Formats: sequence, C-alpha cells, structure tokens
Amino acid sequence: MGEAESRDSLEEASDATLASRAADGDTHAFEILARRHGPLMRVFSAKLLGSDIESDDVVQEAFLIGWRHIGDLDSPANIRNWLMRIVTRKAIDRIRVRRIHDDIDDWDPPASPETSPERVVMARLQMDAVWDALDKLPPDQRRCWLLRESAGYSYQEIGDSLGLPISTVRGLLSRARRFLLTEMEAWR
Amino acid sequence: MNSEDSVLPPTSVPPTSVPPTSVPDDDLDGHTMQELSDYLDRERTPFDASIESSAACRLALAGMTRLQELSWTAMTRQSALDPHRDDAWITGLLDTIKAEVVAGRDVPISHPDPTLRLALTEAAVRGMVRRAGDTLGGVIMGRCTLDGDITTPGEPIRVEVTASLRYGLGAGDAADQLRERIASALHRHTELVVDTIDVTIDDIYLEDGSGS
Repeated sequence: MGEAESRDSLEEASDATLASRAADGDTHAFEILARRHGPLMRVFSAKLLGSDIESDDVVQEAFLIGWRHIGDLDSPANIRNWLMRIVTRKAIDRIRVRRIHDDIDDWDPPASPETSPERVVMARLQMDAVWDALDKLPPDQRRCWLLRESAGYSYQEIGDSLGLPISTVRGLLSRARRFLLTEMEAWR
Repeated sequence: MNSEDSVLPPTSVPPTSVPPTSVPDDDLDGHTMQELSDYLDRERTPFDASIESSAACRLALAGMTRLQELSWTAMTRQSALDPHRDDAWITGLLDTIKAEVVAGRDVPISHPDPTLRLALTEAAVRGMVRRAGDTLGGVIMGRCTLDGDITTPGEPIRVEVTASLRYGLGAGDAADQLRERIASALHRHTELVVDTIDVTIDDIYLEDGSGS
C-alpha cells in the first residue's frame, strides 16, 4: 500500500476529516476541499458578480482567507458553509466597490455565450432555462435571489449585505421568484 | 418537455424587462406571492391551513421549491462543465498556502558531531504520522496532536490522533494496527519517546466518498 493509495483514499474523506487535517497544516487536504467545493462557489460568485473572470479572484481570495483562519472554524463539518459565506462576502465587497467607483447600480452582465444558437437548443433543459433566466433579472433581484437560495442567507443578512431594508428584500425576492416561475413554466 | 419550436427562446425577452406574467400575484385564494415566498422561507412553519388547503398556493409553493432544486442542479452542472476550469486559481492558491504552513516546534535529532544541530519540524512529524495511517488502508487520518515537551530529547510524549474508518472494518483492530504503524514510523524517523498513542475513530466513510 503506497502513497498512491493514500492520495486516492483522501479524496473519499469527509469534509470534517479534511478540515481537521487542513487545520493541522495539511495543504493536500485543503486542496481536496478546494477542488470539491471551489468550482460550485466559483460559478455562484460569477453569477452574483456577473463576471466570470472576477469570480476566480474572489474564490481564490476567499479560500486563502479560509486557510488562514481555519483555526476559528468551530465545527470542521461546517467547512463548506463557512467557505461559502466567505466567498459571498468577498463577492459582495466587489459589488460595493464597483458601486462606489463606477456608480452603475443597475449594471448588467454582458450577453453570455449561452444565447448562441447551439446553447439555445441545449437550453431546452429546464434547469438551463432557469439558470439563463437569472441573467434576465435586474441585478438587485438576482442578487437577493442568489443570496437566499444559493447562499442560504436570511432576509436580515441579505439586507445588511446589500444595504437594503428588509421590506425591500422581501419584495425583490418575491418578484424574482414570480419571474423565474414564469420562465420555468414556459419550458415545461 | 415541449418540442423546441413551441417555446420561446430565452433571447426573445429583453434583458431588463420583467414580462407580463402568467403566474398570478394576488389571486392565489387570497394570498400574495410575497406571502407564499415568506412562508416558504419560514420552511412552511407554523403550518398555515389556509395556504396549505389551497390548490393554487400549493402549486406555487411546489414551483418555488422546484426552482430551488433546479438552480442548485444547474449550478452543479455548470461547475462540472470543464474539469480544468478551476486549475489556475487552485494552483495559485496552493502556491501561496504551501509557503504559509506553520512549522511548529522543533523536534531535535542527535548527531555524532556536537557542532551540528539537527531538528525536524513539528509539522513534518505530524505529516509522518498522517502518512503512517493513510497508507494502512481502510483508514483516513484526521487530527494529530503531539502532547508533551517534544523539544527536549528523552522527554516522554503522548500522541493523539483521530481517524475515519472505512465502513465494515473493525474499529479495535484498526486502532491497534494504527498505533503500531505510528509507533514504528516515529521510532524509525525520530528520537521521540512515545509514551502512549491515543486513537479516536470519529468517523466512518463509505467507498463512494460520503462521510458518516
């Protein structure tokens, strides 16, 4: 039983095991965590930011913070949620900076390659339709929806993050849901 | 799923406009979408008989739940489209964190030449302990603590490890084998005097990678 087997078996380790090892300074364990959860968080932050390129920086920065503060993590089993929160916070920081510098609150993401004819054919899948439909939402609605549904934020947390009153968050969320439901029905 | 030409392609909707909706807002048996949305976010508690007994409300709630599932699946799928898409930032991340590993205390190693001072880092010794367990088979090591004064030669120390055991293996046997391997690895590579090795099996894993 050599090194090769140990590398393979580590990929089967639970998040809790990997987080414990990472806290002990095991970089390989942290690498497996990054490979296991990083891609999803990168896609999430790209959607939140409306920028595929910036999302790489955001997840890298967030995982680096995670590595440096892993000793603060109360329960190693919660590492995924914990990292997701750091990613979300970092993405929102960027949105804030963008607002200050560019003052383009209603900034829209550039048309994605998903609108190419080939993609439209593929988008017959309902989930792709929902995913694409998110891009058609006004930014504030999209952000509220992603923070609620993908990051699991409470209304209060969404309001704090985006600088919006809770009543506004509730309204934006329900409008986003209504729109997405309509889109989903079109693909049924 | 409808045939392709019976549905509108997504490009037909201007990006910023919210089109008139077939999903009703305020005629859901006296409930609004916002109420239902809030109710869903409260995980449908406390139970609202008026909402739960309305077919229209239940349909809207089912749709919103389906939406959550779909978007999660879509996100997962998007993230798996290109397996190498994340290599660049992960490589960059690893370069940085490898330079930041905390070495910990120095574990002295004697040498015939008294002018030479040799030491292993605590991090290296922990790595050794982990490798001894990982290469056993059926065990994935977790935490490793070196308890005691490892910086003074001859001082007895206690090694404490946690490990995850493959489903179906006996915990007692595995712990014994683990102790043996750790002791032998430390004996071979260090001069630490190991008093006890405490093994805690704190997790069971399945072959497909899911934890307990």
